Amino acid sequence: MANFIVWCVWVGAAFACIASAVAVVVFRNPFFSALALIGNLASLAVLYLLLGGEFVAAGQVLVYGGAVMVMFLFVIAYLGDKTGEAPWAGGPSWQIVATVLAAGSILVEVIVAVGLTTGGRLSHAASISRSFGTPESIGRLFLTDHLIAFEVTSIVLLVAAVGGVVLGSHARTLERDVDARA
Amino acid sequence: MHGPNIGWYIVLAGMLFVIGAIGVLVRRSPLIILLSVEIMLNGANLALIAFARHYGHEDGQVFAIAVMAIAASEVVVGLGLIVAMGRRNVELDVDKLRTLRG
Amino acid sequence: MRTIDAAAWVCLLAPLAATTTIALLGNRLSRRHAGYLSTGTTMISFAGAIAAFAAMLGESPAARAHATTSWTWLSAAQYHFGFTLLTDQLSVMMMLIVSGVGSLIVAYSVGYMDGEDEERRFFAYMSLFVFSMLLLVQSGNLLLLLAGWGMVGLSSYLLIGFYQERPEAIAAAKKAFVINAFGDATFVLALFLLIQHTGRLDFAGVFAHSPHGGTVANLIALGLLGGALAKSAQIPLHTWLPDAMEGPTPVSALIHAATMVTAGVYLIVRTHPLFEFAPKVADLAAGLGAATLVMAGLIALVQTDIKRVIAYSTMSQIGYMFVGAAAGAYPNGMFHLMTHAFFKALLFLAAGIIIHALTGEQDIRRMGGLGKAMPHTRRAFLVGSLALVGIPPFAGFFSKDSIIAATLDRGAFGYCLFAACLAGAFLTGLYTFRLYFVVFGGEQSEFAKEHLHKPQGKLEGPLSMVWTVTALTGLSAVGGFLQFGRVWHPLTTWLDPVAQPFVDASNAKEAIASICAVVLGAAGIYLAHAVYAAKTIKVPKPVTLLEKKFYWDELYDALLYKPAELISQGLGRLVEQPLIAGSIGELTRGFRLGAGGLGRAQNGLVRSYALAVASGVAILAVVFLSTR
Repeated sequence: MANFIVWCVWVGAAFACIASAVAVVVFRNPFFSALALIGNLASLAVLYLLLGGEFVAAGQVLVYGGAVMVMFLFVIAYLGDKTGEAPWAGGPSWQIVATVLAAGSILVEVIVAVGLTTGGRLSHAASISRSFGTPESIGRLFLTDHLIAFEVTSIVLLVAAVGGVVLGSHARTLERDVDARA
Repeated sequence: MHGPNIGWYIVLAGMLFVIGAIGVLVRRSPLIILLSVEIMLNGANLALIAFARHYGHEDGQVFAIAVMAIAASEVVVGLGLIVAMGRRNVELDVDKLRTLRG
Repeated sequence: MRTIDAAAWVCLLAPLAATTTIALLGNRLSRRHAGYLSTGTTMISFAGAIAAFAAMLGESPAARAHATTSWTWLSAAQYHFGFTLLTDQLSVMMMLIVSGVGSLIVAYSVGYMDGEDEERRFFAYMSLFVFSMLLLVQSGNLLLLLAGWGMVGLSSYLLIGFYQERPEAIAAAKKAFVINAFGDATFVLALFLLIQHTGRLDFAGVFAHSPHGGTVANLIALGLLGGALAKSAQIPLHTWLPDAMEGPTPVSALIHAATMVTAGVYLIVRTHPLFEFAPKVADLAAGLGAATLVMAGLIALVQTDIKRVIAYSTMSQIGYMFVGAAAGAYPNGMFHLMTHAFFKALLFLAAGIIIHALTGEQDIRRMGGLGKAMPHTRRAFLVGSLALVGIPPFAGFFSKDSIIAATLDRGAFGYCLFAACLAGAFLTGLYTFRLYFVVFGGEQSEFAKEHLHKPQGKLEGPLSMVWTVTALTGLSAVGGFLQFGRVWHPLTTWLDPVAQPFVDASNAKEAIASICAVVLGAAGIYLAHAVYAAKTIKVPKPVTLLEKKFYWDELYDALLYKPAELISQGLGRLVEQPLIAGSIGELTRGFRLGAGGLGRAQNGLVRSYALAVASGVAILAVVFLSTR
């Protein structure tokens, strides 16, 4: 019974995931694309929960959905008309064909690679304890095995914050240069 | 484990990745491209977490959190660029931004 | 180390020390001091040669060959060649001549080259030459002789082209070097044959083991002869010697009269067993010597440059030496080498005094009547000329006549040589005294009146020039008394263990030869007097054949230079242009096209770049998967 429920949830979440991803790519209006991405993130959080990653799922919703997407929506709102009604796909048609081919082949290769290397082992998932995926175990890993990744990530965040401020600042000289060129 | 085995999750992650890739390659607005990149990153995250579950180690989840942090930083910088472009009335069309032409 | 060996080393290395010192000190050494250093070391060298000679006198004739090896120079498989100096009768004689006459000439050039900008370089080269020549004559094996041979060629090149700004001098230096290189090549081929057939190059071993007769022996002798012909400027490798007069006069005296050009004769005498094994080649050598003798004498009749007359005279006299050496009269050939060194150097140096006094003029048509203004030089030149013609009691009489006598002993071919030698004697008298009467006799020419200047009061030139010329005058006067036919022959006795002659003219033949030679020489002098001094016979018009030096230069030009030029131009047109230059051009064009094509991929569109990345990932994934 539990298996059946899990399967249903999985199918639903997967479907939503793919559909919203396609929607992001297809919609013309960036606002709608952003909203579709939020849906994508939510369905992914469900999938993470199915995989036993509670902390990650929470983090996904909070960080991605709560922060990143909010930023996106702010920017879209700020730009307003300037986001442009760029046509869906411009450029020579061979680019679309090549793109679909490349992407399709990557997908096929991923499946083949994974299938070849793992063989039948994918069906035997390891058994996990109740503390799998809890904040406590994640935290322990961050502060012991993966300390460097933790620290480096914090530095990257700092750099990104500074970069964001610089890019968004009203530096008068920059504006004058660009205006003179424009 | 209940539900589909890891293989299904991996295929799903691959599809997400590919859809994101198509989005990056085909759309011309930088905003949409950025969103597509997010989709690709999420696809990778899904694969990481699926394998973490498969092997019983949380290292994949740790990695996924790091990816999330990096993605966030990247979005900050990218959006900053787009805002700067918009403020200077540069047209938001990737095909028009050609100063790197060789 | 024994005295003789030490003396030999001192003799060899003193000039080398001078060269190195002058080269290393450069500007820190004054020009005068460079000259004194060079002269001093050459005199030290002479002292060493005398010491070796004195020590050798005290030994028995059979035990006079001393070889001293300082190290093994070349060692390959079973072949070992040492840096060996051989001090025996023949080499001591050459050492004395080279260092003795050399020191006089180097002393002379202190005065001659005084004030010259490049004086230090001159003396460095002169000392280098003396060292090389001594190495050549003192070497104990053919390999070291080859080293000395090449180095004298180098010194000759450097000294002929000493006046670097003159293109004629550079061209002459190149010509000398190229012709000598040809001789060197034949020499080396002979050495290869010797190594192949005997496995060694030291003199004793080679003479003991080389083949007696047959093709190989002929080839070996021919190769050695080729080298000798080039170095001694005999037909057909003679065209470089007149051009070599572009060098300063002391150079002409030392290298192209007294020493280097006699290296060929020395070689033949030193390796005479090899020539005795190949009698046909020896006859060839004698024949070429005789031909050169006559030809050079004829050409000297029409030359108008004082140094060139003396140069052709040198060529002619070396012809005599070749006849002597190749005919088997080795001591006679060496004797003439010695006396020739004295009087030819004297003639050149006296000519140098004249040239110096006339501030560089060498054309005899602009000279004349210098006898009254420069009596000392005139007397010196007279002594030298008489010695050259072979008038008793001067040096040339004794040496030349002994060679002429030796030719009578060689059958029919010998008689041809005899005739040539006598013809040469007549021509020698004629051209030598033509020169003497034109330069010193008659009235002073306009040019001489304007330009003649006598420095230092009574002396006719710088002191160093005058005393050395006087010394050589003395030697030319008395040098001949060293040997007189069969009556008094210490030189033949001295050289006997090393170079035993196989012709020995009887007294009667000696007398016939002497009388004929002297009579003809005197006839030549008389004729010259009649034409150029007393002017009773009109000066004949110069024959074009003689003026063009028998067209040898034109022949070589047509035979060697023009075809080479044609071939190189043809190759340039047909091969280099289309293939090499063309292929390079096509290569660059291809690259440019490729680069242009690649450049179109840089279109600045982010999306195409991303597409490229994605396609690359797709392809690489396939590659990695398939190679697992």
